[in-house]
Amino acid sequence: MELSQLLQNLLNGLAIGSVYAIFALGYTLVFSILGIINFAHGAVFTLGAYFTYTLVVGEFSNNGLLRGLTLFPNGSPFSGQPLTFALATLLGAALAGLVAVLIERLAFRPMRSRSADPLLALVSSLGVALVIVNLIQLLVGAEIYSFPDNAYGDTPPALSFTLGGKVVIIRTVQVIIFAVSLVMLAVLGYVIGRTKIGKALRAVAENPGTASLLGISVDRFIVITFFLSGFVGGLAGTLVGTAFGVAGPYFGVTYGLKELAVIVLGGLGSIPGAVLGGLVIGLAEAFVPADYSAYKDAAAFALLFAILLVRPQGLLGRSAIQKV
Amino acid sequence: MADFLQTYGFLIATMLQAGLLGLSLYFPLQAGQLSLASPGFYALGGYVAAIMLTNPAFAGLRDTLGSAIFPLTWLAGAVLGGLLGVVVGVPALRLRGIYLALATIAFVEILRVVALNLTITGGAVGIFGIPQAFGFQDRWPYIFLFGPLLALTLLFAWQLERSRVGRALRAIREDELAADAMGVPPTRYKVLAFVIGAVLAGLVGAMSAPFLNTWNAKQGTFDASITILAAVLIGGSRNIWGPVVGGALLGAVPEVLRFLADWRLVINGLVLVVASLYLPQGIVGALSRLSRPRPPQRPPVQGPPVSVAEVKP
Repeated sequence: MELSQLLQNLLNGLAIGSVYAIFALGYTLVFSILGIINFAHGAVFTLGAYFTYTLVVGEFSNNGLLRGLTLFPNGSPFSGQPLTFALATLLGAALAGLVAVLIERLAFRPMRSRSADPLLALVSSLGVALVIVNLIQLLVGAEIYSFPDNAYGDTPPALSFTLGGKVVIIRTVQVIIFAVSLVMLAVLGYVIGRTKIGKALRAVAENPGTASLLGISVDRFIVITFFLSGFVGGLAGTLVGTAFGVAGPYFGVTYGLKELAVIVLGGLGSIPGAVLGGLVIGLAEAFVPADYSAYKDAAAFALLFAILLVRPQGLLGRSAIQKV
Repeated sequence: MADFLQTYGFLIATMLQAGLLGLSLYFPLQAGQLSLASPGFYALGGYVAAIMLTNPAFAGLRDTLGSAIFPLTWLAGAVLGGLLGVVVGVPALRLRGIYLALATIAFVEILRVVALNLTITGGAVGIFGIPQAFGFQDRWPYIFLFGPLLALTLLFAWQLERSRVGRALRAIREDELAADAMGVPPTRYKVLAFVIGAVLAGLVGAMSAPFLNTWNAKQGTFDASITILAAVLIGGSRNIWGPVVGGALLGAVPEVLRFLADWRLVINGLVLVVASLYLPQGIVGALSRLSRPRPPQRPPVQGPPVSVAEVKP
C-alpha cells in the first residue's frame, strides 16, 4: 500500500472509528450499570438521525405527517447555517436521550423490580427495537433520506495535499465528526471520572444494593445513565448520517450489531475499552482492500470472533471469574 | 378436512418448522449455553439443499436419484451443519454467557456476509425456483415432513434428558465447576449439545428450502437468531415443550396478524416486550406452575442477577 493510501485510510478510519466509540459508550454505560445489553440502542441511534433530519429539513417526502416541524423554517435568518445544524444535532441527541429514558421506564424497570432473568431483558429490548424501527417505517416511510449536502454550509475539504503523486483528502465533515467525538468523550470522561454524579454512577455500577444503602437513588441514576446512553447514541446516529449522507429505518440495525463487536473487542463494560474498540474497528474497516469491500461488514465480526478466542475479556477488560 | 388444510396447512407447517428451530436452540441451552448460532446452520442447510436441487452441477445426480434427492439433501444439510458445528463449537464454547452469545452472533453475521458475496449462493438475490419436495402440489403436505421430524426430535430430547448425557448436561448447566470436579468433562458435553442443535438446524434448513421455494441471505440473520431465542424464552427454556410452544406461537403471530398489514411487526415487537415482562418463566413454565401447588416463595433478590453482574470487568 502506498503511503498516501495508508494515510487516507488511517484518517478515514479514525473519523468513523471515533463515532463508533461514542456509540459504543452508550451500550457500555448501560451494561456496566445494569449488566444487560440494550439491543434497542441501535434504534435510538436511528432515531437520533431522524430527529436531526426533521429539525433541519422538516418534512419527509412521502408523508405529510411531520411537515412544517422544522426548527428553523426557510427564510428565517438561521436556515442553512452551519450553527443551525449543530444545534439541531444536539437537540436530536437530547430527544434520543429522552426516548432511551422512556425505554428504560417501559421495558427495563418493570423487569428490574421483579429481578427477572437478564435474557428476558435482552428479548424485551429487542422487542422495543422492533417497535421503534417499524413505527419509523409506518410514520415516515421506508425510503432512505439524505442529509443536506451543505449541512455544515458550503465548506471546502478541510485539508488536501498531494503525497507521492496521490491526493489525500480530509473532508470537513470528518474533522467535525472527529472533533465532536473527542469533545463528547472528554465530557463523558470528566462527568464519570471527576464529578459527584459520576462517582454515584460508578457506585451503582459496582453494587446497586450497597449504593442504595449509602443513600444513592439507584433508579434515578439508572435514568441518568439511559439518558446519557441515548444522547451519545443519537449523536452518533446523526454523525454517521452526515458522514455517509443517508439514513433509513434500518440504518441503526447494522451499526447496532457492529457496535456489539466494538464493546466486546474493547472489553464489555469498560469505558476506555469502548473507545479503543471503536477506533480499532473503524480502522480495520478502513483498511479492508477495495477489492474485498463487500466483506467490509464482516471485518468487525471476524475481528470479534478472533479476539474472543484469544482474549475473551476483550482488549481492556479485566478477566472475571464467572459462574454460568 | 381438505379445505381446512388448504387454508391452515401453510400456517401449521410454519408453526412446526418454528418449533423445530426453537428446539435447535434448546439443546445448547440444556447445557446452559446461550448460543444464537442456529440461524447460521439453518441457512447453511437451506443453501446446501437449494444448491443440490437447482445447480446445474447436480443435474446428473438429480436425474439419477429422482425424488430420492430430497432425503439426500436432508442428510447433506444435517451432516454439513454438524461439521460446521464442530468447527465453530470447539473454539467458541470456551466462552461463557453473553460472550458466547456475541461470538455466535458474529458467526451468523460472517456467514451472512459470505453468503451475500458468493456466486454459488446467488449473491444478494439468492436461489429461487427451488422445486417442491417430492413434487408436492401445495404447501400443506410439508406437515408430513416437519411433523414427524418434530415428533422424533421431541422423543430424542425426552430420551436425552433421561440419559447419562442429559444428566451431565444439566449438571453443567447448574454448576460447571462442580460438574467438572465430579468427572463430567464440560467441554465435550457442551460441544455435543451444540452440535446436536447444529445438526437439527441444518436438517430443518434443508427441508425448508423447498418449502419456502426461495433461499437467500435473509434466512440467517441476527433477526432470525433473536426470533428463535425469543420463541424459546417465551415458550419456556426449562422444558422440551417450551421451545415448541414458543416457536409455534411466534411462528404463527406474523401469519395470524396479517390483517394488521404494516402494523404487525410493531405488534410483534410489543408481544416480545409484554411476554418477557409478564411471563418470565415462559408459557410452559407458567402453566406448569399453575398446575402445581405453589412452593414457599423466597423474597426476590435486589439488584441485577448475580450471574451477569459478575461478568462485569
